[in-house]
Amino acid sequence: MIAFDRVSLAYRTGQFALEEVSFTLKPGSFTFLTGHSGAGKSSLLRLIARLEKPTSGDIQVGNEQYSRLKPRHEPRLRRSMGIVFQDNQLLYDRSVFDNVALPLIIGGYRFKDVKTRVMAALERVGLSDRYADNPIVLSGGEQQRIGIARAVVARPKLLLADEPTGNLDAGISEEIMKLLLQFNASGVSVLFATHDTDLLNGYRFPQLVLDGGRLTADQTVGGAGFSYQPQSPNSEPEVTS
Amino acid sequence: MIEPDVGSRWSYTKRGYALTQSVRQLRERSVATFITLFVLGTTLALPAVFWFGSASLSNLVNRSVGEESITVYLSLDVSELDGAAFAKDWQNQTGVKRTTYISRAEALALFQEQTDLNDALAALGSNPLPGAVVVYPNIDPAVPGDVTVERVEALAARFKAMNAVERVQIDLDWVRRLQSALTLFRVIVSLLAVFLTLTGLLVIGNTVRLELLRRQREMEVSTLLGASRSFLTRPILYTGTLYGLLGGSIAAVIATIAYSFIKTPADQLAAQYASPFRLALPTAGQFLTIIAVVTALGLIGAVMTVFRPSSTHITNR
Repeated sequence: MIAFDRVSLAYRTGQFALEEVSFTLKPGSFTFLTGHSGAGKSSLLRLIARLEKPTSGDIQVGNEQYSRLKPRHEPRLRRSMGIVFQDNQLLYDRSVFDNVALPLIIGGYRFKDVKTRVMAALERVGLSDRYADNPIVLSGGEQQRIGIARAVVARPKLLLADEPTGNLDAGISEEIMKLLLQFNASGVSVLFATHDTDLLNGYRFPQLVLDGGRLTADQTVGGAGFSYQPQSPNSEPEVTS
Repeated sequence: MIEPDVGSRWSYTKRGYALTQSVRQLRERSVATFITLFVLGTTLALPAVFWFGSASLSNLVNRSVGEESITVYLSLDVSELDGAAFAKDWQNQTGVKRTTYISRAEALALFQEQTDLNDALAALGSNPLPGAVVVYPNIDPAVPGDVTVERVEALAARFKAMNAVERVQIDLDWVRRLQSALTLFRVIVSLLAVFLTLTGLLVIGNTVRLELLRRQREMEVSTLLGASRSFLTRPILYTGTLYGLLGGSIAAVIATIAYSFIKTPADQLAAQYASPFRLALPTAGQFLTIIAVVTALGLIGAVMTVFRPSSTHITNR
């Protein structure tokens, strides 16, 4: 599903955000992407979402080889994945419904489908009764759930979560985690960037560990290369250096 | 599942969304929007007033030429019969409305009536005055004044080239002076119109640029959600077009009101000079043309702002 082949991303200063990163994530997997602040987690997610272009190396997501991807096809690629952000990136000039409907409007869905899908997504995050509210009146956890509903409303096959629990307390982080697990159980691949040790220790999913832009092993990987042990039937990432 | 009570079906289509967002942004900042539209309207009203007036001024030259006639003096050896035939022949020629033949005898009678030189004429023994044909040119009001003058002069030149004609008299000098004054006026007004139109374009461009900055977050989020470049730019282009449409409407209304204030004293002034000249009221076509032109100006201003190289948050996607 996602394959990084010796991918590097350098700043103009010459400093590397990511250096020679290679890994493969299989469809339907749930993978933690972890590392300290500035390790390159967000850069890696931005590369997958084609918001950045690698300095060298190649990326493949599904059937899309990024080195062959034309710029005009990048929006279509982004529409095929859902992204959840730490600061949820909601728009406070419109209702919850309109926030969640935005990816469907962008995708050109019919009005009937927009209504059905938005309400179904809100139902899944437990906020269908708040569809008419402005998100600003909702709590941080509720806003993040709206962000998740928006990310999954177009039923993507891949969900990228960039520290979605970073600003939330432990109880709400747990709720968000359970929601993402539900989506993963329905076949959505999830790449979850976090440095929340409680979550990392509480859920023994495969981890991609970044340190200074380089991919390194963690305790579950061991010293013999980067071959993860499957944690669930759905998650079998392979990491090679 | 709850049946949501949301906006209209159309506002959830791509184009409907863009227009809904544009209208909402204008309404949310109603005071700022009104001020911008008023600035745009008053700026572009002045060129509109000049444009309304220019059509009437063009007619002024045509009317002035139309009031002039060409007097064609025939040779003394042209008989009365030939003179009358000459006038009749020219009656049906292109560019001629009508002709009047004045025989030598009629000319003498008129001369005697209007002067005290009867004794001098009697001393000559015979009638020294030639027969004459007064030619009234046919003026096409749709043709510009300078073209009309050229056509009348060409007609006079045709008469001059004829053997039967002794002399051709026409006084178009004052019409030429009027024409020059109007040309100067038009150039000044055109320059002023260009400057004011550029000002209007800058007002729209700056307003759209601010709108771009205000919508930056929405555009960033939309980009992350997979919005195409056309999806991102469409609301901005609609906003520019809306500014043009509303600003153009205000300009057309202000120009019409201002023009009606000018019309009365201008008509009175013309009447004092016994001129049939009257300022014509703007037509519905002119009114709509102003709205259409300013709407196009709004779209152009928005396009220039959205697609200029520094708008990287759009052009790089």
